[in-house]
Amino acid sequence: MYEKAFESTKLVTPGGASPANWTQMIFVTPWDAFFCANTWEWARVFRDGTKVAYGVPSGGYTPIPRVGGYAGFYSGNGRVYEAYEIDQLPNPNEVLNPDWAIPYALAPWTNVGAFLDDQNQRYLYQPNANSVRVYDLRTGAILGTITHNTGEYFKSLNWVQHGQVAGICSGSGKVKIMDYLFGLNVVEAGRIDPHRVAAYDSAFQVLVSIGVDNKTRVYCREARPYALSNPVFTPATIYGLKGNIVKVRLTGQEGEPCPGWWVHWELEGGWWSPGDGHGAPAQQFFPLGYLDKYVSKTDKDGYAWNLYFGPDDGETGRTMIRCSVVLS
Amino acid sequence: MSLWCLRTVAPCLEYIDNKSCYQGQGPPSGYNPQLLTCPTHYNQGNGKLSHFYYDPGADLLRAIIVYSTTYWPSWDVQRLDFSAETGEWVNRDKVLARQVFVGIWGSAWTGKSTMGSFNKLYACMNTGTQINEVDQFTLNPVSGGWSVDPYTWNPKSIFSAAVVNRIDNYLAGVSSWTLDCWKNLGTTPQRFAQLRLPNVLGYLAYESRNYCWIITKDGVICKVDYQIPRWEMISKVQNPGVSATDFAIAFDTRRKQIVVFRSRPDAADGACQHQLEFYYPMVSPARLTEPVPVTSLRAGERVILVAHLIGEAGEGVTPYTVNGELVEPVEGRLVTPFSGTEMNGRVCFQYQAPDQACEETLSLETTVEETI
Repeated sequence: MYEKAFESTKLVTPGGASPANWTQMIFVTPWDAFFCANTWEWARVFRDGTKVAYGVPSGGYTPIPRVGGYAGFYSGNGRVYEAYEIDQLPNPNEVLNPDWAIPYALAPWTNVGAFLDDQNQRYLYQPNANSVRVYDLRTGAILGTITHNTGEYFKSLNWVQHGQVAGICSGSGKVKIMDYLFGLNVVEAGRIDPHRVAAYDSAFQVLVSIGVDNKTRVYCREARPYALSNPVFTPATIYGLKGNIVKVRLTGQEGEPCPGWWVHWELEGGWWSPGDGHGAPAQQFFPLGYLDKYVSKTDKDGYAWNLYFGPDDGETGRTMIRCSVVLS
Repeated sequence: MSLWCLRTVAPCLEYIDNKSCYQGQGPPSGYNPQLLTCPTHYNQGNGKLSHFYYDPGADLLRAIIVYSTTYWPSWDVQRLDFSAETGEWVNRDKVLARQVFVGIWGSAWTGKSTMGSFNKLYACMNTGTQINEVDQFTLNPVSGGWSVDPYTWNPKSIFSAAVVNRIDNYLAGVSSWTLDCWKNLGTTPQRFAQLRLPNVLGYLAYESRNYCWIITKDGVICKVDYQIPRWEMISKVQNPGVSATDFAIAFDTRRKQIVVFRSRPDAADGACQHQLEFYYPMVSPARLTEPVPVTSLRAGERVILVAHLIGEAGEGVTPYTVNGELVEPVEGRLVTPFSGTEMNGRVCFQYQAPDQACEETLSLETTVEETI
């Protein structure tokens, strides 16, 4: 789960004659805001939930995210038109795919997002809920398939950076960041809360969604810690009078590493004697040996490292290492 | 770029008030005048704008209004003149005396006229496909005047509003959703580009050899360079809460400002509620969005917060300075106490969080001076 940094108090309520739910949300770089569409209106939405409606959709124009953080418009004739920077209105004078008309069967629709890269001449379409197909925009040839096995269609495919798109599922909130240009693979997996529409904000590398409650939410691309593994010794055999390497791993809900978190280490007594009932007192056995550090930071793979020194007086017994992370 | 509302004249015109609900003055006989107040009774109603334009020769804004009337023949058409400076209805007495009758044909045959090249008035025919130079008073085509018929062009076109640039041989016309840009009017007209409007057209106004203005049915205002073509700016009429049935726009070439005629339904007592709104195209902030953190909120970390200073249509406004201040009790530190707006109106602030958990409030403010 990505870390939620903001939730709006303002509501991005869809307008129009009979309110219809938001169907598209696209980050627009020159606006530093989002183009949002529903059946009745085109609007500019800011991260704090401010909405300004400025236009009315007409038939035949389906908004589609483009390379660089722009909107384009798929029209019924298979052509994708550019949008003007000032107002994101379709510019029917500029066809972005002059060589290959995208057939209607490969067109984007409300719940299955597509993506157009007119710089590198790629078109991304989802043939099923587990893969994204990459087409050559000049010829329509299939260049490859990214298998992501999410099990749900991405409602939107948004530009992240050169060669990368983020697929976002609205039902489950699953996010997959994929390389469509160099590797055709998933480079990062994450999750946000279920929502109505969402977009990748390529200005600050965050994800912004509009929820079913019409609130906007901002998620940083840093995994919120979800699980801390047990400490593991490498190698597994421990010796006294020696620094034994021990590590622990902090991960998010999808198993993704959480770098940069402080892990607190402590040694606990191995066992406790209740006494024998005939005069021997109850006693706590103190930890054996000691730790090199009492706090260490997770590295880029989510591991925090420490050294454990066994007892130097030949004492034997059991001791426990307890690790904890403070979520603040 | 956005629009600065200079003034609103509301209402900008009146109907003829009969002062009584029957012929004669005061309450009808048989009623005690001390117990009865006659309701307001107008001889005119449902004033419908058919043309609205700026006349640079007279320096007046002129509106052709078609009324429903109680007098014969149940309709009337008058030309109303407004001062381009103040919006004052300068020929009020004449219009209320029904002395500026312009005839019905200019409103029936043509519509949405706008000033164009050589300060002449041009309008599309309602009853035909031509675009004609029209008479400033009757709004009928000038006999022997300039005329084109886009229906003879390729592709065949019919427009409801058009701006005419005879000097460069350009024409930009709208039927409902799309602004078609044509060139080479003198030889073989060629449609070289199209612009899709944000909504159905309300009115089109000529500014210059390069620019024209559109207003949509719902009051979105756009400036267009029709020679490139390209959208130059987008904004909106202000006070969207005031109900409107339609909008018209005219460009005052002398003061370089736009004037919007907001058509409104008659009030419950029958009074006219149409109004004039004067806007100057300039940077005009309408609101400041709330600061939103876009980095992880962690103890000891730098946090970046983003807000936008925007105009009526969400367009960014610049150059302005936005000041930030942490509201007491303060536990961290605001690294950037002020930030200048970028082209899209964005301001960024950096906050240094303390090493312990805390709750903090950032307040933003900007000063906007009235420069007109």
